[in-house]
Amino acid sequence: MVPYYLLSPGGLFLLLFFLIPLALMVYLSLKSGGLLSGGFSFSWEFSNYSSALGQYRPQFLRSLTYSVIVTIAALLLAYPMTYWIAFYAKRKSTWLLLILLPFFVSFVIRTIQWKFILGDNGPIIGPLKNLGLLSDDFRVLATPFAVVAGITYNYLPFTALPLYVALERIDKSLIEAAKDLYSSRWESFYKVVWPLSLPGVFAAFLLTFVPATGDYVNSSLLGGPGTTMIGNIIQEKFLVELDYPEAAALSVILMIVMLVLASVYARILGTEDVERAAGAQA
Amino acid sequence: MNKRERSFTDPAAMQRVLGHRLTRRSMLKGAGYGVAGLSLASFLAACGGDDGGGGSAAGGDGFDIGEIYAGEAGDTVNFTNWPFYLDQAKDKDGNVFNPSLKQFKEESGITVNYEDTINSNEEFFGKIQPILAGGDDPGFDIMVITNGRYFAILAENGWVYPLDPNRRPNFDANATTWAKDPFYDPGNQFGMAWQSGVTGIGVNRKMVNGEVTKLDDLANPDKVGRGLVGMLEFDMPDFVMINLGIDPKTSGPDEWKEAAAWLQMQKESGTVRAYYGNDYLAEVQSGNLSASMAWSGDILYSEVWLLYDMGFVVPEGGALLWIDNMMIPTGAKNPVGAMEVMDFYYQPKVATMVSEWVLYMTPVDGVKELITKDADQAVEDGYKGYANKLYQTAKSDYLFPDEEFISHTSFGFDPKTDEEIEEWDSIFLPISQS
Repeated sequence: MVPYYLLSPGGLFLLLFFLIPLALMVYLSLKSGGLLSGGFSFSWEFSNYSSALGQYRPQFLRSLTYSVIVTIAALLLAYPMTYWIAFYAKRKSTWLLLILLPFFVSFVIRTIQWKFILGDNGPIIGPLKNLGLLSDDFRVLATPFAVVAGITYNYLPFTALPLYVALERIDKSLIEAAKDLYSSRWESFYKVVWPLSLPGVFAAFLLTFVPATGDYVNSSLLGGPGTTMIGNIIQEKFLVELDYPEAAALSVILMIVMLVLASVYARILGTEDVERAAGAQA
Repeated sequence: MNKRERSFTDPAAMQRVLGHRLTRRSMLKGAGYGVAGLSLASFLAACGGDDGGGGSAAGGDGFDIGEIYAGEAGDTVNFTNWPFYLDQAKDKDGNVFNPSLKQFKEESGITVNYEDTINSNEEFFGKIQPILAGGDDPGFDIMVITNGRYFAILAENGWVYPLDPNRRPNFDANATTWAKDPFYDPGNQFGMAWQSGVTGIGVNRKMVNGEVTKLDDLANPDKVGRGLVGMLEFDMPDFVMINLGIDPKTSGPDEWKEAAAWLQMQKESGTVRAYYGNDYLAEVQSGNLSASMAWSGDILYSEVWLLYDMGFVVPEGGALLWIDNMMIPTGAKNPVGAMEVMDFYYQPKVATMVSEWVLYMTPVDGVKELITKDADQAVEDGYKGYANKLYQTAKSDYLFPDEEFISHTSFGFDPKTDEEIEEWDSIFLPISQS
């Protein structure tokens, strides 16, 4: 009996703060009406979904494209870093703390600081312009590059930590065994370390890709015309257009897209790895 | 083995019989589903059909002014406003305080808790709408909302208290003609103006080639450069319409499409850096923008007090006029005290204190003369630099516009129905969103 009692706090929490709000959001997405005509009422308004999909396909695709780039970039940056910490570093906790340090500062403040760092005449671009290495009207801010870079920077700890956990668990003696069997350093990485780290890669991918797709802070602060992401659309639909049902519909669509993509990715990776990622970490 | 043996002792058969028994696990599962279903049902029943409809559908009709404003004023009033919208000073210990609020406390005994947490109508409305729709106390007695769609929605849904016309003697005596009986709030039923301002063009003088005098300059890369222009996302439709010779108040979808076409042309010209909300000012100050749509007080403050080389320009076609209004949300604890505070700021001396600091258009008559008097006093006291700034303030068209100036300004479009809001958004939002 005891195991079930232990489940109830977490289960209750999930029920109250996840399942019920989720149901409410789906319920809201099927309403129609407006704030100047007496409020919203439930009317199985599936047209919210069709109009949302039709109107905002470019922003959906753009968000997905950005997140894929962000995830790949973050993986490319984080993997060597965590590999070194897991296999070669002496004081692992210090290095991990350094990765986590940006988390102590608010997400929004960090992004605003990037506005300063990447400013047209700021500490990086200014000197380069003075040296003549960059033309006078070169800029990074208000471009897609700035938005993608901002999102990558913000989510890098989310990528690095699951990777580190997976890499750290790998039994070092397996690599020694590979070397004993005449594998080169590249081969021992490719054939031993990489497959064993895949659960971590999967977790890192999920933890980075999913929130990055819904991000709107970076696009709002660092972006320009043509960088609007689906998160910005949902925010404006909710706060400016006051069209709560369509905003809810967009959110539900985003969630379903994420679920589908994550399952497809899990399939490609192989479900045994997913199970190991979920369960065998214990 | 024969059939009979199988039917009694075959393990498969036994399992089938026993499989349907009520196990602890299946009971808990059922209980869990039941609880979930029940709570879902009760939530839906409680919230069903009630979102956004709030109080009475027809504005302030359901309110009894006598009831709302019964009794004495309480001890405290909570006032929520925009940043940099109230006079500030430092006391002996270097702490920042608001002189006008201090004076109010001395005169009336009421403490005003002031917060400048409104950064945009959209965000603020998003925060308070669920609270007001649920009939709860939002935690403040006075809020400041710009005229436009949010003002209309608050009034229409009965989410603000109507004001008591018998409790505003200073307003009746001293308010300017434009503050009395505005088109979006007949009879000042729901709001009293806090300040007004214009949206025009703020220019970084050193970064532009030649003078910026008309709207089309903002689409001209030779004049303002590529990717160096800021546009105010929510002011730009009205602003463009005014400069195309259209009166936004009487405009319809055809005129909106004209303005949208201009904005699209501007976007294709490559001059626009980004579409901003409140944060355009930092970009202009830091030199990331050569020119931007801007609010008069912000640019004036940067130019006169912060000494940036910036100028505020009203383009040839005209500028957008807007009014920020004090309103009392439903559920406020101290509406009587709130009205006292609101009326207090319609005394010319108090309004002068605010104007000298805030640099926006005051809704109170007689302030210009008082500022000039203060400047004269400052000269006598030996503060020539400060006096000069005050003289500049008193002479400014943006604080004390004459008839000619006002004739070049116009209010924006005021939506009356959800269909209008939808159509407007479908024409204009794609420009900043694509």
